[in-house]
Amino acid sequence: MRTTILRIGSLLAVLALVLAACGGEAGQSQPAGSSGSGSEEPAASSGGETGDAVEIRWFCCLGAGDDPAQVPTEQAVVDAFNESHDDIELVLEIVDYDTAQDVMSTEVAGGNAPDIVGPVGISGAEAFHGQWLDLTPLIESSGFDLSQFPQEAVDFMNVGGEGQVGIPFASYPSMLYYHRDMFAEAGLEEPPHEYGQPYVLDGEEVPWDFETLAELARRLTVDVNGNDANSPDFDPENIVQWGYEPQYQDLRAAGSYFGSGSLTADDGTTAQIPEHWADAWKWLYNGIWTDHTIMNLAQRDAPEQGNGNVMNSGKVAMALTHLWYTCCIGDAGDDWDLAAVPENNGTATSNFNADTFRIWKDTEHPEEAFEVLSYLVTDASADLLQVYGAMPANPDDQDAFFAGLDETYSQGVDWQVAKDSMAYPDNPSFEAYTPSYKEAFDAIVTFWDTLRSTDGLDVDAEIASFQEELQTIFDRSE
Amino acid sequence: MAIVDMESGALTQEEPPRFSLGRREALWGLLFISPWFIGFLLLTLVPMVATLVFTFTNINLNQQQPLRFVGFDNYVHLLRDQRAWDALAVTFKFALVALPVGLILPFALALLLNSKSLRGTRYFQTLFFMPFVIPFVAAIFAWSGMLNPEAGWINGTLSFFGIQGPNWLNDPSWVYPALVMVGLWGIGSAIIINLAGLQNVPTELYDAARVDGAGYWGQLRNVTLPLMSPVIFYSLTLGVVGVLQYFLVPLVLYQGDGRPAGTTYFFNIYLYKTFFTFQDMSFGATLAWVLFVIILAITLVLFWSARFWVYYAGETK
Repeated sequence: MRTTILRIGSLLAVLALVLAACGGEAGQSQPAGSSGSGSEEPAASSGGETGDAVEIRWFCCLGAGDDPAQVPTEQAVVDAFNESHDDIELVLEIVDYDTAQDVMSTEVAGGNAPDIVGPVGISGAEAFHGQWLDLTPLIESSGFDLSQFPQEAVDFMNVGGEGQVGIPFASYPSMLYYHRDMFAEAGLEEPPHEYGQPYVLDGEEVPWDFETLAELARRLTVDVNGNDANSPDFDPENIVQWGYEPQYQDLRAAGSYFGSGSLTADDGTTAQIPEHWADAWKWLYNGIWTDHTIMNLAQRDAPEQGNGNVMNSGKVAMALTHLWYTCCIGDAGDDWDLAAVPENNGTATSNFNADTFRIWKDTEHPEEAFEVLSYLVTDASADLLQVYGAMPANPDDQDAFFAGLDETYSQGVDWQVAKDSMAYPDNPSFEAYTPSYKEAFDAIVTFWDTLRSTDGLDVDAEIASFQEELQTIFDRSE
Repeated sequence: MAIVDMESGALTQEEPPRFSLGRREALWGLLFISPWFIGFLLLTLVPMVATLVFTFTNINLNQQQPLRFVGFDNYVHLLRDQRAWDALAVTFKFALVALPVGLILPFALALLLNSKSLRGTRYFQTLFFMPFVIPFVAAIFAWSGMLNPEAGWINGTLSFFGIQGPNWLNDPSWVYPALVMVGLWGIGSAIIINLAGLQNVPTELYDAARVDGAGYWGQLRNVTLPLMSPVIFYSLTLGVVGVLQYFLVPLVLYQGDGRPAGTTYFFNIYLYKTFFTFQDMSFGATLAWVLFVIILAITLVLFWSARFWVYYAGETK
C-alpha cells in the first residue's frame, strides 16, 4: 500500500514538474508592449472600442519617450485628451526603446498593430517601410493647416510613393559645432555662421567648403610637441588635439554632407553608392589615415577621448552633428558655438533627423487616429517637445525652445544657425528607405568601422565591395 | 497466492500482476524519465524540426508578404551572403587562436597542480576554480575594465615596465588575444577535469618509464599524453563546439556590432541578429542549421580521428 502511495505521489510530482517546466505562470503574462519603465498599461486591443468610445492605441517609443521622466508628461497629455473627448479613448503603450522595434514587429505579426506610433524618426519608421498611412486625404478633409510649418519640413515628411506619412513635429538640423578658443589659439578666423558666406583664411576669402574644412582640421590637429598636422615634425602617434569629427554620424549621414542621396536606386531594388557619398567617404578616410585630423576607431572609442563622444571630451576642434547633440556636450566647456555646414560643389546640405507621429496603415479608425495625431503635433506639442528636448518644427515655438537651451549654455550660442539650417535639408533623407533596412544598416555600421580601423585600404575597391554586399542584402527582401 | 481475509476468515485469491516485474520496472523507469523526455520533445526536438521547416519558408516579422514555401532560396541566399562567410571566417580565425590556448593552458596548469613538488595544491586548485563560479557576464565587465587601455591594471602593469599597452578591445590586431584572455577566466573547470585525468594515471607506469630511463619529457610524451588522450579528446570536442558557438563575450562587450572592423562579428552573432534584430526567422533558421551541420561534421571528423590518437586503457577490440 505504502509503495503504491509512493508511486502515485511520484507520478504526481513528475506531472507537477512537467507542468512547471512547460507551463506559464499565472500573472506573469503581460499585454504586448509591456515596458520596463514602470508605467501602468491598459490591456491593448487593436482598434477596439471602449463603450461608445473608439480606442486608439499610441505606441511609444521607437524614438524618444521611454525615459521614466518623460512618461508622466505623456500620460498627462493622454489624460487631457481623454477628458476632452467622449468619442475617443486614447491609450498609451510605453515600450523601452531597446526592445520597441521587436515588440512592434511582434504586434504587427500578431495582427495587433497600434494605431499611432511615435515619436519616431526616419530610421525607426523605415524599419516598417510601406506600412504608414498617407495622411493627405485626412489633412484635406479635416482642413489641417500645414502652412504653420516650413515647406521644407513638410516636404521632408512626404516620401515618394508613400505620400505625406507625417506632419512635422520635432526637427534636428545638423551644423558645425566648434571650439572658439581652439580657433583663437591657432590664429584662425571662426567659421562662417551664415550659409553662403566665405571663410577668411590667412587674410583671403576662400569658399566655405570641405577643402577649407580639411585645411582647418590640419591646422587644428596638434601633437604633444605643439606641431600641427601641416608641420613636417608632426607626430601622428602622439596627438593631443584633433581637428574634426563626424560626431555620431553613420556613413550615410557623413556622406550626405556632400549632398543628399540614397543607397537605393530609383527602382527601389538596386544598390548604389552616390558618387558624392563615395567622395565624402574618401575625404574622411584621408582625414583619418593620411592627415590624422580625424580619430581612428581605437582613438575614438578610448575612454580618454570620451568613449566615442569625442567633441565633448574637449579634444576635437570641430564636429558636424545634429541639434540633439546639445544633449551631450555639457562637459566640453563653455566656449563652443555653431557654424554653417560647409558646401560641396557650391551646395550646403544640413542633413536632418526628424521625429514625428505616424498612423499605422491598417488602422480601423483612421479619422480618430488622425484627430489624436493632430492633437499631439499641435496642442500637446509644447509639453511633449519640452520633455523630449526637441526643436519644434513650428518656427513660432522655436524661440522658447532656444531660450531653454540658453539657460544651459550661457556662452551665447548662435542658435540662428540651427534655424537657418532648416532651409538646407537633405531630401531624400540619408535615413531613407532601403530594402532589408535593418540588415543594410548593420552592414553600413560594419563598413564604417572597417574604414575607421584599417589603414592602407584601397577605398574604391572597398566601396565597390560594399555595394555588392548591399545588393546581396537588398536581394534578400525580394 | 491465497490470502485469508481476517474479518470473514474466507480465503481469497489475489490477482496475479498484469505485468512481469521487469516490465513494471521498465514502465516506472520510463515514467521517471518522462519529464526529461517531454521537455526534450517540446523544448528541443519540436523547435528543431520547426526551424528546419522555417528554412524552406519566408517568415520575416517585418515583412508584408504572406507566408509561403520558398524551396531552397534561403540556402541559395546563404551561399551568396558574404557577411555569413565573413562571420564564419571570423569564427574560425578566433578558433585557431582560442582553441590551442584553451586546451594547452588548462592541461599545463593541471600538470603543475599535480606536481608533487608543489605545496598548497588545494589552495591553488581553489584559486583557479574560484573565477568559474562568478557569473560570466559580471566577469566580462570586470575584464572590460581590466583591459581598459588607460585605467586598466593590465596596461598599468605594462607601463610600469616601460611598455605601452595596446588598446586591447578596440584594436583589430589585439582583440583576439584580449578575448582569449577573457575566456581564460573560466578555465577552472577544464583544469579540474585535466587534474582528475592526471590523478588517474597509474603511478606504476611512471615508475616503469623511469626504470626504462625516461626523463620528465619522455614520461610526459609516452605515458601522460596517451593516458590523458581521452580527456584531451573530450576537451577538444567540447572546445570546438563551444568556440563555434562563441557569442556571449562579443555580445556583452560590443553589443554584437562587430567592432573593431568586423573582427567580433562571429557567426553566432550574425545568427542572433538575423533572428532577433532583423527578425528574419527563415534565414536565421537557415544559419542555425548550417552551423549545426558544420559543428556536427567537425565533431564526426574528431570522433573518426579519435581511433588514431585516443587511447582507452580498458578498451577491447
